Amino acid sequence: MAKPKLKPEIKTESLVSAAPKWNVVVLNDPINYQAYVVVAFMSVLRISSAEAKKLMRAIHAEGRATVWTGDRERAEMLALELQQWHLNSLLEKDG
Amino acid sequence: MAELRLSMTQEARTVLSDLLRLIAPAASRVSVNRANVPGADEEIAGFWVETLTAQASEEARLLAVAFASAKGDPAVIVLPNEAQAQAFLRSLSAVRMALRDLVFADITDAQLESSEDIDDETLPTEKRHALACYACFGLLQQSLISQLCPEAFD
Repeated sequence: MAKPKLKPEIKTESLVSAAPKWNVVVLNDPINYQAYVVVAFMSVLRISSAEAKKLMRAIHAEGRATVWTGDRERAEMLALELQQWHLNSLLEKDG
Repeated sequence: MAELRLSMTQEARTVLSDLLRLIAPAASRVSVNRANVPGADEEIAGFWVETLTAQASEEARLLAVAFASAKGDPAVIVLPNEAQAQAFLRSLSAVRMALRDLVFADITDAQLESSEDIDDETLPTEKRHALACYACFGLLQQSLISQLCPEAFD
């Protein structure tokens, strides 16, 4: 005789919502040279020169660009490091 | 990485050193004022201000020591490693920021971006002098970047 199959109904619910993401934004400035901005991005964001140039060009063309997105603590640290390079960086909540 | 060198005429060294003595005390204030310090969290804001103030003080010291120790003609500033070179690069940027805010406040960004096009005769002597120094500090930055990270240029 076959045993009755139990199919317990399981409901799952996410109790913890995902932490909001933060953007590190850099604004264009007329003082720092483009090559200087590239060096700063390579040093702070640990990216290649090609990636850094892409970000620099976006800032130059649009006036601003998001250079990093992620958790708040790291975003604060990166924004401060960019300020230490005298770039005009700021934090914005994503979305 | 081998040491990096920046050279300039003795006259340029003297002129730039004199300007640095004038502008350095204000550079710290400019650096903090320009920063977009997060205002919502007092603890974070305090940390930012403290960090930027300390850095500005260190940058002023670094520049003063570097220019004072540049001997000979041409005067040569020797930066022993990459970290020192990057710090020097940032220090020069701080000085240009301070000049922009304190001396060239009435010059538009567009004019400053093409500062070689500004009609020198229309500016007072001290402003022309400061503008020449601003350009020199920029040239030193360019020279340093060409040694430190040539791929940064297009």
